[in-house]
Parts: sequence; C-alpha cells; structure tokens
Amino acid sequence: MRRLLHALAIGLIGAGIAHIVILLLVPSFSERDAWSRLAMVAGPNKVVRLDQEIGGTPVVKALDPSFFEAACRFDLTEGVVRIDNAGKVPYWSASVYDRSGQNIYSFNDRTATDGNLDFVVLTPAQMIDLRKELPTEFEKSIFVETPIDEGIVVVRAFVPDDSWKPTVDRFLDGINCDIQ
Amino acid sequence: MLKQSLLIVLALAVAVGGGAASVGMVLNSQEGIGAVSVGPWTAFPDIGTPEADPYSKARVARDGVLALGRAEGLSFVADRDSTGVTLKSECNYRVEGSLPVARFWTLYATDRAHIALKSGIRRDASMHSLEVLRQADNSISVLVGARPEPGNWLAVGGVGAMNLVLTFYDTPIASSTGLSGIEMPRIVRVQCNA
Repeated sequence: MRRLLHALAIGLIGAGIAHIVILLLVPSFSERDAWSRLAMVAGPNKVVRLDQEIGGTPVVKALDPSFFEAACRFDLTEGVVRIDNAGKVPYWSASVYDRSGQNIYSFNDRTATDGNLDFVVLTPAQMIDLRKELPTEFEKSIFVETPIDEGIVVVRAFVPDDSWKPTVDRFLDGINCDIQ
Repeated sequence: MLKQSLLIVLALAVAVGGGAASVGMVLNSQEGIGAVSVGPWTAFPDIGTPEADPYSKARVARDGVLALGRAEGLSFVADRDSTGVTLKSECNYRVEGSLPVARFWTLYATDRAHIALKSGIRRDASMHSLEVLRQADNSISVLVGARPEPGNWLAVGGVGAMNLVLTFYDTPIASSTGLSGIEMPRIVRVQCNA
C-alpha cells in the first residue's frame, strides 16, 4: 500500500513536469498552426484570401465576419518582400506574424502615407544595404524591420455592408506580395 | 519484481496522462493567465505577441489563430451573461451600456469553436458601430436573438452554447495602460424559446 502511494506521488510530480514540457513543446510541434494551414493551400509569396473557405474548413479560425482578409507567407532569405496595392477602402490594417503566429508588427491605414497600402518587410541587414542607395519606388514605403526570416503578412479590410464587397474584393485581390 | 514494474508503469501513466490532460484542460478554458475581464467580457491583450505567456503561445499554435495586433484592435469574448449563466443561441439577450473609445467596433456571435454563427436568413450575422442606433446618452442597446426586433437586432440562429465577440478597431485600449477603468456593456437575458 505504501509503495502504491509512493508510485502515485512520483506520478503526480512527473505529471507536473510533463505539463510544463508539453506546454513548451506545443508551439514547435503543432501542425495545425496558421503557417502549416497556409502552407497546405498556397506556396510562398502567393496571396490567399482567408475569408473564403477552401476545402470546407476556414484556413484560419476566429475571424470577424465584417472583415475580408488576405495573407501571404514570405521568406526573406531570397530578398526583401514588398506588399503594395492602390485603392481605397474604409479601413484596412496589416500585421506581420512570425512563423509561430506571433504578431511582431502591426499598423493601419491612418499610419500609412496617404492611406495607401505599401510596405516592405526586410531584415536589419537588408535595411542597411537598402539605405545606401534607396530605390525611388520605395520612397513612400513603410519599412518593417524584422529579426525573422520566415513569416506571414495579413491584410484585413473592413466591409461595412454588402455594397462594399466588390470594392474590398478588388482591393484584396490586387495585393502584390513579391520578392524585390 | 512484477509488482515493482507495475508500479513504475503506473507512475509513468499518471505522469504522461495527467500532464497531457491538464494542458488540454487549461487551453480549452476561456479564462487563464493574461486574461483581462470587464464584467462578462474577457480579452487577452497579450495574445499573439512576443510578450505572451506560454499558455497563450500554445493556444495560438494549437488553434491556428492570427491574433489582432496592437495597432489593429482588441477582441473581447463573452461566454456568460452578466448574471453568470452560459450564453445560448436559442435565447434572446440585450447587450446594453456604453463602450470604450474606438474608431469603430463590431459585434458577432460564434459557437464554442470560435466559428462565426450564420443568421440563417438574408441578414448579416454581425453588427458594427457605423450602422447602430444610439440612445440619447450615446450608449447602445442591441437585441441578440433569432426573431426580428425593432431597433438594433443581431440575428443569430441555431441551438447551443454561443460566445459573443465584441471587437474594437484602432483603439487606445489595445495598449496595456488603456485597459484600466474601461466600461463594457452588460449582457442581460430577456427570454428563452426552449
């Protein structure tokens, strides 16, 4: 009896250790995170609409039905990534996420020049290179320096009512997410 | 000898099983470390940021959530009404009171898996501040239910437990200091059509 209690006590202490280990390992081993889900439906630098269901299940969960969203994955080892688009919608916001889905930078239309969506994601080393000789097409761009190589960009646009749907659709479908 | 190995197997089973089960239980609950509650509403201001606690990080990875950034907005979720009773989509609720400052806000209902509920009719199952009718004192009163209501009506359909999600966009409350002393609307149950 005493040995049974002893085994149970050791088991409980082990459960505490297992709890911490599993908790810290979930982010590295999850196959259901946003990155994996996006990788299943599209390659890097391809813009994917998150509000449209692909294969019956939403790509990313917990989305506001009053919003349309578009996302693309990027890899900075091949060059800087520029996300730009011309067009006006009532409200848009953009976020840069790292591979594990953590939001590392976000801004909205009031922060941007003339309210236009135009930003460049790059690493600090690429920023130093670019500063030496700033290309003229980047004059009005917002530069987002990130310490990561791989990540996700998400652009969200507000749809106040049905009559705005075509405009917002055009805005999101016209987004470029290309390596420069 | 056999007894000894049985005890070792028992200890290992309790350790692995208990550890996995407790992580699952904590991740499924709406409350948790890093939660900020105002009345029935709960928000996770740090979720999806590098400052998030390990529980929030695990939740983000497991659910595939892409959380709103601080410059984008902040989401509040309610799974109970103001008296502490679970929200059900077959009941009618009144969401009333004043709201914190934001450029605009949206209100919609989801199921427990955070998938937005459909209204089942030709009406959006969401509501936002640009289309809402306000009271004389600038507060709001929204009726949530399956049957049409005069004034502000958020159409929801279906049966079962639901969450109400109130999201503020481009708001100062998304910063860490902005959350102290804000006022959120009450959720009052009107009736149930069970």
